[in-house]
Amino acid sequence: MDEFGASGTALGRPAPAAVRAGLMPSGFASPAQDWFEDRIDLNRHLIKDITSTYIVRVSGHAMDGAGISDGDELIVDRALQPRDGSVVIAVLDGELIIRRLRITNADPSTNTAGTGEGTGTSVALIAASSAYPPIPVPDPDDLVIWGVATRCLHHV
Amino acid sequence: MSDPAPPTQPGPGSAASPLSSGVALVDVNNFYVSSERAFDPSLEGRPLVVLSNNDGCVITRSAEAKALGIPMGAPWFQIAEQAKAWGLQVRSSNYELYGDMSARVMEVLGRYTTDLEIYSIDEAFLTLDGTHGEQHVTGRIIKASVRRNTGLPVCVGIAPTKTLAKLANRWAKGNPNFDGVCHWDLVPEDQRQSLLHRLKVTDIWGVGTRNGARLNAIGIDTAWDLAAADPVLIRKRFSVVLMRTVLELQGTPCITSIESTGNEQVFFSRSFANPVNSRDAMQQALSVYAQGAASRLARKNLQGRVLTAFAGTSPFSTGTKSSPSICIPLPAHTANPLDLTRAAHKLLPLIEEGVPYIRAGVIITDLQPVGTQDALLTLDLDSGANTGQTPGKDAGPLLHEIGQKFGRSSIGLGHAGLKAGSEWTMKRDMLSPHYTTKWTDLPVVKAQ
Repeated sequence: MDEFGASGTALGRPAPAAVRAGLMPSGFASPAQDWFEDRIDLNRHLIKDITSTYIVRVSGHAMDGAGISDGDELIVDRALQPRDGSVVIAVLDGELIIRRLRITNADPSTNTAGTGEGTGTSVALIAASSAYPPIPVPDPDDLVIWGVATRCLHHV
Repeated sequence: MSDPAPPTQPGPGSAASPLSSGVALVDVNNFYVSSERAFDPSLEGRPLVVLSNNDGCVITRSAEAKALGIPMGAPWFQIAEQAKAWGLQVRSSNYELYGDMSARVMEVLGRYTTDLEIYSIDEAFLTLDGTHGEQHVTGRIIKASVRRNTGLPVCVGIAPTKTLAKLANRWAKGNPNFDGVCHWDLVPEDQRQSLLHRLKVTDIWGVGTRNGARLNAIGIDTAWDLAAADPVLIRKRFSVVLMRTVLELQGTPCITSIESTGNEQVFFSRSFANPVNSRDAMQQALSVYAQGAASRLARKNLQGRVLTAFAGTSPFSTGTKSSPSICIPLPAHTANPLDLTRAAHKLLPLIEEGVPYIRAGVIITDLQPVGTQDALLTLDLDSGANTGQTPGKDAGPLLHEIGQKFGRSSIGLGHAGLKAGSEWTMKRDMLSPHYTTKWTDLPVVKAQ
């Protein structure tokens, strides 16, 4: 990543640890030195593609029922194809809105966004709390999905 | 002189093989504007300008802002009053955001080539193999892929040479029929000729206005004229650099990839006598180190394109540990202490106030000898936002020389020249959040 001038910040590589296991101590060799393993790196486990992954923060309670609360952070992959049931970030009236994508299609094999020219497809953005009515999407082709949430960093 | 490039034939020198190697120039359309819009969809369709350092003047305009008649380089204070009436959106340069988006774009591009040459923050040359048709398909895939991963629109120009790739890219941008991807060799010959006849010679990448006037004086007015010129004559009357441009227009690649100097780097780092625990003090230290590195580059007659700045607390301290580092792509190869200092200062937001740092430094990588390439590569056809031109281009050697004569701390930029510099911060009153690099600045999605 370095050779492409990546910035070593939030989503980049981990900062180099000043002291790493396995370095030779001056006294006794560590009995663990041959079993050295890198520490768990959340970037590696939670992020599939760093170039398409963004972290966003949730504001509001519409997704409470899905375990996504006000103030939680979400890992969002912009490159994923949204499907029926995906928790998506949609662009609505110039704002980023989080909802669950609901695609109902006569032919379930084509349940993806942006393919709704055919008849019988209806698309809506659904909240996970009954206090928020579904947002209908009259023309699915007009729907702009900004990204698909893959993980919620829920504050417990 | 022969035609610039034969139609639908493999590039010169590879006629025997159905496979050839092409050069793609990929650049982001209106990079700063597009980066802002990628995180703030409300800016879509509205006139938007991005201001230069210290909110000085307009350096990028959206199409809507251009339509309002706002000129490139317009001083902000002159248009500020009308901004509201126009509904004009204004942003300070968010280099943190642009730097990260640039890195994402370059990483995506790197997946489609074995030879990626980052030319500026928003453009890169890629070597593409395969037939012309395959190269064109790859160009389309690249465009879609960058869009999907980053939300940024790019245009792709593919040709046998960099100069022609630059031309094809510009064509792709200007003519919607290309849908953003133009392969020079797949365009019918008559259309290419007509384009070259229409283009002023100064529109060619690498031909400056000064050369332009001199070329006009000997009857070379259009790109076509230059492509038809005798390279030897051009070398005699002008320079070897311009001769290369002629050859490239004729389809012979000769602006080669910048010679890699391996893993060579300039590393300038010191441990502090006393821990530094404020951003202010760190800024001074980074200024000194960046200029130390600049001086070292000048001494070796080298320029670098990537700067890494870092700092660290003591590994033995029991308090807060912090080892921030940041990697900054420079606008072009440079040894200019102004560029390097500015880049090194990008580390500052990552410095935690009150934490005792015991060391800091800068590393300059991607080095090349001065004068090999970038003098030629500073022309930008469209935006002007990324010309790579920096005021004080010759400051490096001069400062180095004075430092040699009168001692290292006799002269310097900003903090590096003075014992206690005045408070200096870049003015960015209309800055958008650092959406991708700062935890407190994450984009907010509404669950309302």
